[in-house]
Amino acid sequence: MSRHHPPSTINCLRYVLIALGLLWFGLDGHAAKIGEMSDTTVLEQAGRFFTFQDPAVRYALLGSMLLGICCGVMGSFIVVRKLALVGDALSHAVLPGVALGFLWNTSKDPVAIFIGATIAGLIGTAAVGAIKHTTKLKEDAALGLVLAAFFSVGICMVTMIQRLPTGNKSGVDKFLFGQAAALGANDVKLMAIITVVTLLVIGLFYKQFLVTSFDAGFARVTGVPVQVMHYTLMLMLAFAVVIALQAVGVVLVSAMLITPAAAAYLLTDRLHRMLILAAIFGMASGAAGAFMSFLGPSLPTGPFMVLGGSAVFGAAFLFAPQHGVIMRWWRRRSRSLRVQRENTLKSIYHVLEARDFKPEGVTAKELAEKRRETLEDILGQLRELRRHDLATLQDDEQTVFLTPDGWQRACAIVRNHRLWELYLTNAAQVAADHVHEDAEKIEHVLGEDVVRQLEKRLNYATHDPHGKLIPGEADMLRGSAPSERITDAVGYGKRT
Amino acid sequence: MSANISTTTSGEAAPLEIHDLTVAYQKKPVLWGVDVTVPKGNLVGIVGPNGAGKSTLIKAAMGLLPVSSGWVKVFGTPLKENFRRVGYVPQRESVDWDFPVNVMDLVLMGRYGHLGVFQRPTKRDREIAKECLDKVKMLPYANRQIANLSGGQQQRVFLARALAQEADLYFMDEPFAGVDAATEAAIIELLHELKSKGKTLLVVHHDLPTARNYFDMLLLLNMRVVAFGPTEEVFTYELLQKTYGGRLTILSEVAEAVRTKT
Amino acid sequence: MSELIPPFDWQQHVIAPWTEGFGANIWIVLMGFFVATACGLVGNYLMMRRMALVGDAISHSVLPGIAIAFLLSHSRGTVPMFIGALVAGMITTILIEVIHKKSRVKQDAAIGIAFTTLFAIGVILISLYASQVDLDQECVLYGEIAFVPFGEPVQLTDAFSAPVPVFRMGIVAVITLIFVVLFYKQLLVSSFDAGLATSLGINATFVHYALMCWLSITVVSAFESVGAILVIAMLILPGATAFLLSHRLPVIHALTVLMAALSSLLGLHLATWLDCSMAGAMVVMASVLFVLAWIFSPLDGLLVRWVRQRKLHLEPPEEIIVVPK
Repeated sequence: MSRHHPPSTINCLRYVLIALGLLWFGLDGHAAKIGEMSDTTVLEQAGRFFTFQDPAVRYALLGSMLLGICCGVMGSFIVVRKLALVGDALSHAVLPGVALGFLWNTSKDPVAIFIGATIAGLIGTAAVGAIKHTTKLKEDAALGLVLAAFFSVGICMVTMIQRLPTGNKSGVDKFLFGQAAALGANDVKLMAIITVVTLLVIGLFYKQFLVTSFDAGFARVTGVPVQVMHYTLMLMLAFAVVIALQAVGVVLVSAMLITPAAAAYLLTDRLHRMLILAAIFGMASGAAGAFMSFLGPSLPTGPFMVLGGSAVFGAAFLFAPQHGVIMRWWRRRSRSLRVQRENTLKSIYHVLEARDFKPEGVTAKELAEKRRETLEDILGQLRELRRHDLATLQDDEQTVFLTPDGWQRACAIVRNHRLWELYLTNAAQVAADHVHEDAEKIEHVLGEDVVRQLEKRLNYATHDPHGKLIPGEADMLRGSAPSERITDAVGYGKRT
Repeated sequence: MSANISTTTSGEAAPLEIHDLTVAYQKKPVLWGVDVTVPKGNLVGIVGPNGAGKSTLIKAAMGLLPVSSGWVKVFGTPLKENFRRVGYVPQRESVDWDFPVNVMDLVLMGRYGHLGVFQRPTKRDREIAKECLDKVKMLPYANRQIANLSGGQQQRVFLARALAQEADLYFMDEPFAGVDAATEAAIIELLHELKSKGKTLLVVHHDLPTARNYFDMLLLLNMRVVAFGPTEEVFTYELLQKTYGGRLTILSEVAEAVRTKT
Repeated sequence: MSELIPPFDWQQHVIAPWTEGFGANIWIVLMGFFVATACGLVGNYLMMRRMALVGDAISHSVLPGIAIAFLLSHSRGTVPMFIGALVAGMITTILIEVIHKKSRVKQDAAIGIAFTTLFAIGVILISLYASQVDLDQECVLYGEIAFVPFGEPVQLTDAFSAPVPVFRMGIVAVITLIFVVLFYKQLLVSSFDAGLATSLGINATFVHYALMCWLSITVVSAFESVGAILVIAMLILPGATAFLLSHRLPVIHALTVLMAALSSLLGLHLATWLDCSMAGAMVVMASVLFVLAWIFSPLDGLLVRWVRQRKLHLEPPEEIIVVPK
């Protein structure tokens, strides 16, 4: 299981989603004209849904969750292989197959439709490849035109079917936007079989799929039949699309492939975890969509599922611990705040050093002059130091004294700076007047172990290239001025 | 067919035998009539100008590209029957480094050729992968996501994966491209170590001045094989000029390289 | 099957639409032609920029813009609709950029996420407020071009009037044509090489967003009558066909317009024959034209390739001197 996102969190997320949905309907119930429904029947419908007594509810929910698993798993592969829009083209290309499958015996026989749609989808994917290889059109154009051409053929056939005497009852138009409530026992059985087959195939050939997806050339050299793996993947992708059709609809199936997988992609760095997470997200959005569409008579299921997936993606996009926008922003911000604090400490050190470490506090005015900043800015920075227990402020916040912690940090940063300058001039032969800028940046990121190595390499030198003393460990710990002599100078920077 | 199998002194078939290999994209030939037999235990550099077909040659040799004519044998048989004895280091840019795998997963891929169809990597495979990572000094990074590695580290991981293949013949596509000096030195040391164990290595290399020091044998390539032989025989001004044609900047580099040789 | 495909009758399916139904059919064909021309010309630039699927995305995602514009303005006026579509189009463009730049999700997945989300919102809005929006779900996809002639007319002169959608689409098509002629070199350079464009003083980012805006406008004016599918198809198909038949952009543009006219006209006849969705039939004809060009193109068609393949024998590279080992 993923360490980033334990399943309980995901379940919570699902309930939150459902609750939000309920809330929205509750609020909207008065103003909206959802057919002839009033808000009480919305609640009744919700109640009906959660008791699971209605078989239609059970089928809808089960089917939606199964398709979510299937699409999540297969979607993960197309997202990491950068084939996301192949999924889109494939899902549009199945429509003529659906219509043909329906015409087979003019009924909604799931198996006939399944076979027809799978074949059409595969022909569509093959056509994309053929166009790409035999014309100068680029992949995006090839995908777009296959999508449009197949879909329009499908539309023509669907409109022709609807004109048939039996056509209007056929529900073939439900394939466009999806209606989970239309799922029957046979549909769900087929979906369960396909899901099991998918999971089995992926489980058995996981390592082949992994290596083919990551590095097809290498895979071939290790004896993996790359072409076979690719076509198997496309076939299973077509399966996933086709079983999702009835509930999600042709138009939006690609979202069920892409969105949960993309959300999982942001949350983990291992493919197998990504597959599991994507399956869970897909299942959750499937369930949420089935529930929402159940609340009203004419509400399509697909769009609600898609929004469920989008909500999960949005949350991952913002809050993912590693790759989330907010977390990255937060890390960047706290880093820049730290750098600023360290620069203030360094200035205080410089002022102290300039007056030979006389044990007096440094005034804000001195700092302002030193850093050429306004007094107000300096005061803000000093308060920031105080908040982190690096300094105390006295005399009406005009004088600053470093705490032992603050002194240590100040010493460390000055040490890093001077060591690096020395290293650059000695080891890398950089002119002494060119090293300051570089050291300004590097001083904030040098780790203690690197510092140890530097010190050793520089033979524990005590002076930087400009002739200033480099504070050592002893000075830091004792709170004394840096020196070659060991004196027991007291409390520079300590509270007087 | 057996008449075509050239043998080395030890009696075993040569690690790599390429006969009359021609590769064409559309109508344009990229490689023309390449005939090469690489003897065992050599570190061979493949050198030539941009577009000379260096990468194409090793890809075609491994069966990754369709060939117009000719054949390739690895240890006397077609590669398909002998893939466990071949290791491959592709160009670093050929994969998506954002792919959700960590360093360990990537190195384990090197073991896949030794596993059964349904078999998962065993404890022993993990041990081997760890040893290989240790050899390239990347063991502390085993759990890192591959996107968080520097270029040199990525190349080392690729190398570790090839080591994990435990092959006898290695193809490496520009393993020195975009790596730091320390990594370059570490890689070349490793290549020499492999060679001393009797492995055969073919390395695509684009930096002419270093080529002379790195390799025992050089294959000078410009669509055709210009020359193939021990480095000290092949690394001459005339042959390099023929390889690089009239490209002046390279020529001055060649002149420089040849001058420093004496 | 036989009841599905009626027998083809020359008189009834080819002649009759122009003798009996001329007054209605001319508007349908014109509408199809205008949509295909405007979309095709914009689509040519999208394809050159490898952004064909961004066009696909925007044609889906203007839907919530239109729906919200309907709901807020309580009218089907052109102006609120255009504003709604523009805003939705911009949101899509920006959303794709943000997802792809600010996370490691690649551009293709970002497109997929952005447009499906917006389209889903649009469909939900339409199904919730069906009575107010006056659009139904299927109509969003393949429109009702057959109803175009019966729309409210615009009185152009005393004797001549045109239905509003056709009139509006005609204006959009003409403006597109004018843009393409006037800004030919700016569009070409910025599509071909954004860096070069910048060095020539053309603001490539501006051209990009302007193109996206115009795309949204084109999509929305076509949407109501022909649905999303015809728009997506016409963004790509006529242009792709033209790309296979010529290497020069002006010729490609001209061929695009020709393909637009042909697919619109043939589509009408196909739909009359099969009694199916007219917008769908027009796309089917555009696809047929594409397949014909793919096979028979004198430049690079499958047939030419096949013949060349048979004649193929490799010429050895000349300039290389081989040194015997």
